Amino acid sequence: MITVIVVALALCAVLLFYVAVRSRRKHATLAIRPVDLKAFRTLMDRDDELFLRAQLPRGKFFRLKRQRIRVTLGYVGRIAANASAVLRMTEASRQSAAPEVATAAAQVMELATQIRMQCLLAMGKLCFEYVVPSLQFTPAMLVPKYQSLRDNWSRLGQLQVQNRTPLASAI
Amino acid sequence: MGLHTLVNDIWTAGIVLQVILAVVLLFRQTWRVFPIFAAYAFFNLFEAAIAYSIYSVYGNKLAYFYVYWACEAISTILGFAVVYEVFGALFSTHQALRRLATNVFRTAVVILIILGIVVIYAQPQADRTAFGSAVMVVAEATRIVEVGLLMFLFLFSTAFGLHWRGQIFGIALGLGLFAAVDLVNVTLRSYFGNGATDILNFARVATFCLSVLMWTAYLAAPERVGVSSEVPERAQLEQWNQAVMELIHR
Repeated sequence: MITVIVVALALCAVLLFYVAVRSRRKHATLAIRPVDLKAFRTLMDRDDELFLRAQLPRGKFFRLKRQRIRVTLGYVGRIAANASAVLRMTEASRQSAAPEVATAAAQVMELATQIRMQCLLAMGKLCFEYVVPSLQFTPAMLVPKYQSLRDNWSRLGQLQVQNRTPLASAI
Repeated sequence: MGLHTLVNDIWTAGIVLQVILAVVLLFRQTWRVFPIFAAYAFFNLFEAAIAYSIYSVYGNKLAYFYVYWACEAISTILGFAVVYEVFGALFSTHQALRRLATNVFRTAVVILIILGIVVIYAQPQADRTAFGSAVMVVAEATRIVEVGLLMFLFLFSTAFGLHWRGQIFGIALGLGLFAAVDLVNVTLRSYFGNGATDILNFARVATFCLSVLMWTAYLAAPERVGVSSEVPERAQLEQWNQAVMELIHR
């Protein structure tokens, strides 16, 4: 039995390394993809959900809620990917000789890291809600943090010689 | 050509590959950036040269057994140090994550050591008392810890979207692949006994050669700079940005 577990662990490790290689190739290009925060907020709106719960039969409401969760997960995933791309883009700025650029880059990186953590938490809770749709959870804290990241990223763009403001608009 | 001869040939080729890796480490001065990995690579080369001369030139199998396992013990300790060096390099630019990662890393070490001890005690009593079998069981337990720690690093970095620089990724990947295959090797060796020695030896030496090739390729290649995505048209962006700002400040 223990032999099977150990061999399975080793095979999982090899699979994980393979996934890491593929993921690394896939993310060779830094891609900041736009996020429709309006639609994101609409999806998170509890009033909408309460309305649907009141209007629809239980089974149909659960199906619809699961669909909404799937779409919300897509948005959270995109925000997480953007935060990751920002982390990578800012890495070089953190080593900058200009202290203000380095400080701003550090702030952006810290915020991007926090967003990644929140995304993980939000994904976990959304998955939980997907399994038990009668639960209610809104990852509402994600929106202000994401806005804050955009502001800091803009400020960093202004501090640097190269203008990164358009990218700030992109995220 | 028998499998035994093939294993010997691959072993010899592995020594040549390790010499090339050593040259790359010296000429690219990578040993300054990753001193522990350099020590690990040089020690493996030393081990291979000593073991090869004892086994193939002098043909002393008993001396080879003791030298091999003594060197393997040192190599495994250096392997753990390399994992820690990878951990340090990965989180060097992510101060916000470092404390969390350190705590999770320590917890993972404790859990994996417990798992290793469980594996040792799960073996039949006879396997733990005979010296050769005991060595294999301990090797299995240490490989579990090593593979587990590398898996932790890959999982944690994936969860937080951390970027691996090319060289550090290559070091972790090569070490991880070799440790995972060696874990299967020592586990199945305890299970099948001497029946599958040749095929397991083949898998081990072939994977080690592959790992050395990976290390050499990643360390020799220049660090690639990520290509930024194309920025969308400004008018479109401004329009979109305005809509988002209105939403957030409403």
